[in-house]
Amino acid sequence: MRPTSAFYVVYLFVNCLKFGFSEFNKDRFHEELLIKPLLGGRIYSYFQFTTIWDEEFKSESFHHCHLFPRALGEVVARHNVRELHISLTQGTWRHEKWGYPVVDAPPGAELWVWFKDDTKDVDSEWKHLTGALSGLLCASLNFIGGSNSLSPEMSFTPSGRVEDYGNGKLNSSYLKYATLPREVVCTENLTPWKKLLPCDTKIGLSTLLNAGYIYNTNYLSLGIHLKPICRDEECSTSSIELKQTVSLVYDTAIVGNGCQNWSLRSLFGRGLEGHCPLASSSMIYVDISQNTSSFAFRLDPPPDNIITTLRGGQIGQLAAYDISQMPSYPLFNLAAHHIPPSCVNLGVNIPPPLFHASRYIIGYGQERGGIVTRVYNNHRQELEVLYFENIPWFLPVYMHSLHITSNGKSIEPLKKRYKPGVERKRPYYLEILLKLPPRSVTEISFNFDYIFLKWQEYPPDANHGFYVGSAVLTTYLPYARNYTASPMDGSLIASSFNNGSKHGYIVQLRTEVLLVSLPTPDFSMPYNVICLACTVVALAFGPLHNITTKRLMLTNIQKRGALDWIRSKFWWKAKVKSD
Amino acid sequence: MFLSIKIRIKSFAIMGTLLLTLHAVAGIARYWLINSEYQQTIAGRVEVSTPLNSWKRVTEGVYLYQEGIDPYSGDMFHETPVGLYVFDWLIRNCSQWLGIIFVASDLLTAHLLYMTAKYFMVELVETENRERNSYAKDVGNILLKEKDLREAPLHVAAAYLLNPYALLSCAALTTTVFSNLCLASALLAMVSGRHILSGVFLAVATYQSLYPAVLIVPSCMYAARSFGPSKTITGKFKVFTTVGVFLISLAFILCASAKISSGWHFLNSVYGCILTVPDLRPNVGLFWYFFTEMFEHFRSLFLAAFQLNALALYVGPLSMRLRSAPFLLAEALVALAAVFRSYPSLGDIALPLALLPMWRHLFAYMQQGFIVGCFLLITSVLGPTVWHLWIYSRSANANFYFGVTLFFATAQIFLITDLLFAHIKREFSLRNGLKQEIDGKAAKLVLE
Repeated sequence: MRPTSAFYVVYLFVNCLKFGFSEFNKDRFHEELLIKPLLGGRIYSYFQFTTIWDEEFKSESFHHCHLFPRALGEVVARHNVRELHISLTQGTWRHEKWGYPVVDAPPGAELWVWFKDDTKDVDSEWKHLTGALSGLLCASLNFIGGSNSLSPEMSFTPSGRVEDYGNGKLNSSYLKYATLPREVVCTENLTPWKKLLPCDTKIGLSTLLNAGYIYNTNYLSLGIHLKPICRDEECSTSSIELKQTVSLVYDTAIVGNGCQNWSLRSLFGRGLEGHCPLASSSMIYVDISQNTSSFAFRLDPPPDNIITTLRGGQIGQLAAYDISQMPSYPLFNLAAHHIPPSCVNLGVNIPPPLFHASRYIIGYGQERGGIVTRVYNNHRQELEVLYFENIPWFLPVYMHSLHITSNGKSIEPLKKRYKPGVERKRPYYLEILLKLPPRSVTEISFNFDYIFLKWQEYPPDANHGFYVGSAVLTTYLPYARNYTASPMDGSLIASSFNNGSKHGYIVQLRTEVLLVSLPTPDFSMPYNVICLACTVVALAFGPLHNITTKRLMLTNIQKRGALDWIRSKFWWKAKVKSD
Repeated sequence: MFLSIKIRIKSFAIMGTLLLTLHAVAGIARYWLINSEYQQTIAGRVEVSTPLNSWKRVTEGVYLYQEGIDPYSGDMFHETPVGLYVFDWLIRNCSQWLGIIFVASDLLTAHLLYMTAKYFMVELVETENRERNSYAKDVGNILLKEKDLREAPLHVAAAYLLNPYALLSCAALTTTVFSNLCLASALLAMVSGRHILSGVFLAVATYQSLYPAVLIVPSCMYAARSFGPSKTITGKFKVFTTVGVFLISLAFILCASAKISSGWHFLNSVYGCILTVPDLRPNVGLFWYFFTEMFEHFRSLFLAAFQLNALALYVGPLSMRLRSAPFLLAEALVALAAVFRSYPSLGDIALPLALLPMWRHLFAYMQQGFIVGCFLLITSVLGPTVWHLWIYSRSANANFYFGVTLFFATAQIFLITDLLFAHIKREFSLRNGLKQEIDGKAAKLVLE
């Protein structure tokens, strides 16, 4: 080989590398953890792993992935998805006590997807997508189909960048929303979820997600949120944003021996070894706004810096730790020690959030019932609230019984969308836009009938009951009290620190799921029932057949005893023999 | 002579007063129940309100209609489009008169049944006079008696007006009240020889609940007998016109419905629901538990078998056997449909029960009256009891209620077959005399 050609090869190789790196540099990965002490001795820890990829949201883009998980990319590309939100949750978030989480999720599984406008058959894409996601996350998402999916018109607008928004009207037929309130979330969902991360669980914040510890919580929610976002201020080009989130609520009564002391080791079973080398930033934030004289704790080690946040008139303080600056040994263990006697923050003086809701079933017996949703507006002004109800087909709803009362007065909805359900085919869909009076409790109630299903439609433990998914309430809050969600125009937790918004702060909260015990047939009876019912039919058929085909005749009465009857039988046989 | 006329006039006057009193009592009882606190309880009973006739569902349908949502797109409304239109109008314009409209319809039904019975009595007498020559000699005892003829219509009216099943059905504001009205009109038109009118009313009744379609057969038989005001037209032509009028009216009313509901999708909601039985809410019929417990792959087979049994199976054989008694055929078909229809309610059963006193002359031949009476009484009491135990106390299960409905159906079946047996036995006795003996020895009647 001549030296010139060798040089040429090296030159080519270097160029390739360069080109390759320039490709790689198009995406960035951030890992963040927010720890926030809640009232009553609970610790909310929220992990957010964000991948931002400066690439157009097209099917071809997902052919070459770097930090973005290829497994998810293929599914998204294949099914023409524009925006995807999955949450798998165990437990109910208590808005009244805990405020608002960064990402709200209903108990069980929730999936909502916007398909691209050029999707031909949304229903079939939806069916296939849920099947693929079910395999990807080991969840029962494949049970989502036409019979439990809806396309709500108002509640779920795209949260990312929308192209062709010129006509000002969204076509909600490209949106599919479904929940599986019975879904149980466990390690088999966590493991595939972790595999979607660039560093897996080998290093970085994700090493804290030990199944043995995080399932020991009051609330656990895994989330995957994929959407196109604006690359710059002009928003002429888009980027792809993937957020993988975990929300955990620990009860320090269990992990902290009765005191609200906590440490990474007590929450997650181990300290932190280091940051994910692929991450552009690795941060831990601890909310110390509540760290006042009456409830004081000391962070160990002390924070690198303290960020003062101002958002929607609320001032807060956060202790920030940059993990990427930490030495990898010894293991980093962040701990909070309370200064006695402030052991548990009962938060007696802290008012509940401006807006929260609860839902329950009324009536007794298994014949007729009702669903009541109480919506609390603790604000001194009116609030406009969107109420979205996804009632499964097995609870036939009487919409004429819909009553909305606020402090005893009935109020009319500003807008109402209703589509009655069809047995085994489509759920009942209700969406209402309401104006809640200031400082009020509004009750939204309607009646339903308990349905009688076929015996094979009952789940294995039929008397356990059937779950009814959460209602979703959406509103814009004027203040950001108890509010932690990321802003619309930012991807990271850090971007929410000093982000005031003129339009208020969007809150979407999910109510409790309901458990309805439907009347059951006797599952051991099919043969008996078939036989008995057919017997009754035969009771009609037999005599009618006789009446119509036979005629009345007079015959001789032969008075015989039992002995004669038996003899006659034998005699007849003997006669046959002799013949 | 003069005396007998006087007695007759007096008896007519008494009967008129009785009839009026009956109507008044029944009307007041119904109206009181509708406005009482028990109305909700009665309307909520599964025996009275089925998915097809419950007023709650009508309200829901009308509400959706007024909101601009197609009621047939959902699962809650199974009334016909014309019904929807009428009820919408009623609820809009005279919601305070609803109770009175229901009571009036029910009283009108009773009166139509009374008229029907009167016509039928005349027919019975005419038939007997015509066939008197072919009867045996010693049948004087079992011939029609004036008392039977005179009292039967009154008893029919009473049997409808005071029938607790009809009473509950009306108090619950079920739309069965209107189905019964149409059915009674059809029966009256049929028995009074107005065959065109009977075709029209039958079409309306069929349009409402599908099962009365089978009554076209007795209707044709009446038409073929050329019994009525005009004897100039031949029987065949009359049959033809009856069927023609029936079909044309049905087609017309269906087209009007398609116009009202802007499309034919109502067919699936109205008749699809009747035929495929998707709603398995318990009722007094046989379908609900049978198809709850049915294996999925046999479902369509048994569905077809049960619907054939309810609709078509008995029409042919019975009409051949009862060709001399078309009104008995009509009664048998109405009663069988009331037992075997997919969503029977007590209101459906009230009508054939009310017609029963027309065959007072057969009562002597009926053997199971006591058993049937006991069955009906016991099941009517036990039904709500075991329902409460199952649904509210949860100390019983579905089998209990199923058992009760089985016995209720059995009782009705016994009643129908007993009536038919009584008819053929009396016919036999009329032809062959009362003495059941062969060559001087006692003999018994058997079907061979």
